[in-house]
Amino acid sequence: MRDLPTSLDLLALARELLLDGLAPLLPPERKRDAHLIATAMAIAAREAAGREWTGDILWTLAEFYGELTPHPGPLPACGEREHAPPPAPLAPFTGRGRAPREAGEGEGQSSGLLARFAADLRNGAFETSRSRERAARAILWRLTIEKLREGNPHFLAANGFHDADGQEI
Amino acid sequence: MAATALPRSETGLADRQRALGDFLRDASGAAAVEIARIGLLAGGAIQENWGIEANFEGGILAGSQRLVLRTDAATGVPSSLGRVEEFAVLRAAFAAGVTVPEPLLACADRAVLGRPFFVMRRVAGSAAGRPITLDPALEAGRPALAERLGHELARLQTIRPPRADLAFLPPYDGPAARIAEFRSYLDRHPQPRPVLEWALRWAEAHLPERLPPVLCHRDFRTGNYLIEGTRLTAILDWEFAGWGDPDEDIGWLCCKGWRFGRLDREAGGIAERAPFYRGYERESGRRTEPERVKFWEVFANIRWAVIALQQSDRFLLAGARSLSTAITGRRATECELELLMLLDSGGIAAHA
Repeated sequence: MRDLPTSLDLLALARELLLDGLAPLLPPERKRDAHLIATAMAIAAREAAGREWTGDILWTLAEFYGELTPHPGPLPACGEREHAPPPAPLAPFTGRGRAPREAGEGEGQSSGLLARFAADLRNGAFETSRSRERAARAILWRLTIEKLREGNPHFLAANGFHDADGQEI
Repeated sequence: MAATALPRSETGLADRQRALGDFLRDASGAAAVEIARIGLLAGGAIQENWGIEANFEGGILAGSQRLVLRTDAATGVPSSLGRVEEFAVLRAAFAAGVTVPEPLLACADRAVLGRPFFVMRRVAGSAAGRPITLDPALEAGRPALAERLGHELARLQTIRPPRADLAFLPPYDGPAARIAEFRSYLDRHPQPRPVLEWALRWAEAHLPERLPPVLCHRDFRTGNYLIEGTRLTAILDWEFAGWGDPDEDIGWLCCKGWRFGRLDREAGGIAERAPFYRGYERESGRRTEPERVKFWEVFANIRWAVIALQQSDRFLLAGARSLSTAITGRRATECELELLMLLDSGGIAAHA
């Protein structure tokens, strides 16, 4: 329904104009500014075009804690045990928008779960359970890689991280 | 654009230049000082550096001089020394034989330029990180440069407390206190950072044995030293210096964030660790220990992540309209990836 070209196309064209048309004309001390602007535009474009992953992370966290609503507070230090009750069964995650998104109406729940997770990591809450500790680390990896896919995919690639099909991220 | 210490407008500049000339004349004991050129040098998000060419008639700087005036930028970051204190640190380093610009004069009187400042001799060379790590012309000389940096670091570490001239530096209270500071910062930060929390927990559980403190530069890295060709001409930017652990600067130099496109070269993007360690060990007589260095490298990544977040706080919390500082916060996630790679090497294969 929106007019064409899409905002992403316009953003890409604007970035090309900035880097190829304007940056060469700038004095040396201002070229870095042009590249900063281009970087910001590239991040915005990747975030707009990329798949919604924050909901996936939130869903994984909810599954990790065996709930879909935030826990009232972090666990005490070393409070999780190998024999902790298993997470409540959840319907499989099927796509974007299923779990609350990072922004908008789900922000409270999202930041609440993430804050709880951070607080539990500070307290070493998963260190007495190898499986819980491993699952927590997997979430940390996923969170970090997803952020960098949008924020700095070149850094990911330079560190040897590739998509499932072997392409640089 | 934020206001600079020396205004760019002709009228404002003339007034300040006159005040600066008077200061240089009186502080150097000259009969007269004529400032021929003055201009803001590149870089300096935290500090401003002004290049000055001046002619001194008599006094301790008699003749034509190329100088650098260093003062606060409009916005600073926490943990940064004042300029007069930085001048004292620079003097101590110069006296210890560290390759630094010769410190000449300091001024605490805000009536001169509106901010404290100091003046040092201008040194030839470039500090730009990417040319240092990537220029093919420098290839053969990089290992020797890394060795020289190790040597310089060992010279710096000959400065140890107590020192009356550095009495303003707070006593070293170890990494545990700084871990508490980082956590306190994260408690105030608007977004949870679980990777940093996880790494801080690791650091807390792996505190190294405490060694007698030495003077740490605390920003000893590629991008903060000048080279001419492959010859080191000066180590710069001493505003974060303080008493600390001998391995802290080693971990900082080797931190991945300072490798400027050569992630494979673990000593500041310029060489393997071996020549850097060799230069350090030969001059200091102290062996580097991999576990201690690992701790300080983890610590460096946490610290750099927190600094990056603090930079974007200037926009998020204080409303500063600077793209450069706002976007720096994104770099915290790069540090977090490196922390995962350092502390969970088994997880790399699962996610790469």
